[in-house]
Amino acid sequence: MEPALAWIVLGLPLLGAATLAAWPSEPPRSMTRVLGVGPMVVSFLLTAWLYVQMLGENSDDRLVVSRVWEWIEIGDLSIDVALQVDPLSVMMMLVVTGVGSLIFIYSTEYMEHDRDYRRFFAEMGFFVFSMLLLVLAANFLFLIVGWALVGLASYLLIGFYYEKPPAVAAAKKAFIINVIGDLAMVIAAFILVVELGTLNYLLVFEAAPDGLGRGAVEAVTILLFVGAAAKSAQVPLHTWLPDAMEGPTPVSALIHAATMVTAGVYLIVRTHELYELAPYASDLVAITGAVTLFLAATIATVQVDVKRVLAWSTISQIGYMIMAAGLGAYGAAMYHLMTHAFFKALLFLSIGMVIHGLAGAQSLDRMGGLGRHLKFAYVATAIGVLAISGVPGTAGFFSKDEILASAWDAGDLGRVLWLVGALAAGITAFYMFRLLFRTFSGPEPEGGYGVHPQPSRWPMAAPVAVLAVLSLWGGWIQVPRGWTWIIDWLEPVIGRESIPGQQAELVTLATSIAVVAIGAAAAWWIFAVDPARPKRLAGRLVATRRLLEDQFRFDHVYDRAVVGPTRDLAEYLYRRMESGFVDGLVRGAISLARGSAMGLRAAQNGLVRTYVFVMISGVVGLGALLAWVVTR
Amino acid sequence: MSGVPLFWYLMLSFGLFGLGLVGVMRRRNPLLMLLAVELMLNSANIALVGFARQWNNTDGQIFALVVMAVAAAEVVIGLGLVVAVFRQRLALNVDEMSSLKG
Repeated sequence: MEPALAWIVLGLPLLGAATLAAWPSEPPRSMTRVLGVGPMVVSFLLTAWLYVQMLGENSDDRLVVSRVWEWIEIGDLSIDVALQVDPLSVMMMLVVTGVGSLIFIYSTEYMEHDRDYRRFFAEMGFFVFSMLLLVLAANFLFLIVGWALVGLASYLLIGFYYEKPPAVAAAKKAFIINVIGDLAMVIAAFILVVELGTLNYLLVFEAAPDGLGRGAVEAVTILLFVGAAAKSAQVPLHTWLPDAMEGPTPVSALIHAATMVTAGVYLIVRTHELYELAPYASDLVAITGAVTLFLAATIATVQVDVKRVLAWSTISQIGYMIMAAGLGAYGAAMYHLMTHAFFKALLFLSIGMVIHGLAGAQSLDRMGGLGRHLKFAYVATAIGVLAISGVPGTAGFFSKDEILASAWDAGDLGRVLWLVGALAAGITAFYMFRLLFRTFSGPEPEGGYGVHPQPSRWPMAAPVAVLAVLSLWGGWIQVPRGWTWIIDWLEPVIGRESIPGQQAELVTLATSIAVVAIGAAAAWWIFAVDPARPKRLAGRLVATRRLLEDQFRFDHVYDRAVVGPTRDLAEYLYRRMESGFVDGLVRGAISLARGSAMGLRAAQNGLVRTYVFVMISGVVGLGALLAWVVTR
Repeated sequence: MSGVPLFWYLMLSFGLFGLGLVGVMRRRNPLLMLLAVELMLNSANIALVGFARQWNNTDGQIFALVVMAVAAAEVVIGLGLVVAVFRQRLALNVDEMSSLKG
């Protein structure tokens, strides 16, 4: 195995992004395409090569730390510039570069009409670089660096349309909430430095069982989880993600499928040695995941913006992964992470085809009956909906059932969370089929579409087709009672994971098929049979609808509790401190300079003889002083 | 030690320096002011040469040569400025060349 490949994979997207950014003017579109997509595809191919090389190694030899030099040395603390290449990071690299490449190819067409073509690809490349740094880091410091850079890249991309105030507000919100998580992670790193004197993953995990007390390990894991929750949009730090839909659709696909939101799941799996020492933190993680997946699923049922439906579904699906990670089913979490990357990217890109075809319309009220015009997008979205709902045979079916079956086997808490997860699976089927029916079937919206729906060309269709195949068949790499490729592959990192028992598998299988069928049927009965029925039903559930449309009022509470007081404080300080004290200092400095200048200008009278006289007087005076000092 | 004593060298030097100083301060024509400056430089040279003779040390003479070179360069620039002002058809009066005053 050649660990240098990991450095190249990491460096290529950055190189592409930097070249695009440094280009003196807007380069030709074809050049932007080559510089944007090329590094990604090459990165993916190199990652695949790395994967193949790793397959040839014994499972004990698959963990390599590629250390280049020592970056910081302070006392006993030493931090290396190093990458950790192991099955977990390679799996994340495959997802990031693989799904990322498809999204990049899709973007070349989707963004074709955009003015800032170059900026888009430069920022996307930077985003992928940050994510790769995050997953490849061999110590907590570089993890945090990658973590923060991902936050910065998401800020740039969510605010891509910077002329639109909502986009700017959404970008700011995402950045601020992410920084809350960054701060928690930095504090966790401080605790590790104080307690263990190292930030190196392997050394920390080796020393943690003896070196960290119960309290310290719980504190570190909870703080790391705050970081994970901020990045992965878990309750109560989830509010930035739906707003992040202000970015272009490929950005949403990249944030939701391949990068960023999966970082929290990756972090918990990466530091699972610590979580295994911290039962309370693990329970907190699992419960947070369950609460998130349920709340997000219910909110998604009433959303009108197609992209917001998908955003809430992402939060919900990440909730499943976080729940699995909290319950110790790390393999299941990573498995769902991978399949989710496939079908969520598919959903975003196929819905993106619809939005592109309708010249930017995103509201479900402006859609309906599009299946007749956009057949390809219809089929692709349908496949994505089947996969995310967990219809038997599709990718989501295997991975979600594995999470639920693991929960069933995880004691009393696990049984409760299993119930929540199973219920939410039914709701997921309901809202995803609602999306499908309201977009593609039924009558056309009143007043038509505004523009004639345009089918997409191959750069958009081809990645969608690949993702559709992966969403349909990608789940078959791990089949209960059959084979366990994901768990086998991750064994060097997460240890031998216990496989759910037969009873758990059967109960979960039966339940999930039943709830998915009920959810899908309900969506069909409400939204597909009779177009007038949704309005009649909405009249009866006013209070519930309002609560869901307000997204359980998280945003209101934050506005009242944090945003409002902060703004008031800033206003007060502006009036008192800024205009009185700070401005006074500045004005005082100005008038001091002006007054002294007015006084001194009299000396510059423009007569050379005056200057000569002053000079000679000075020389004579100094000489006299010197003579007096010497002779005294 | 024979010849003229150091005292007279210094007296000549002071005398020339005083003449030059008065010239710089009194004159308004830049050409004459340059001449006066030249006088002051050469008075310093006389003092240097006198001291060099007194202490039998050639450093002072070498220094006088350096001062001459610098004086030549200074005259080139000074005359250049004077010519430039003259070509602008302005009066050759330093008191009137004072647009940079405070």
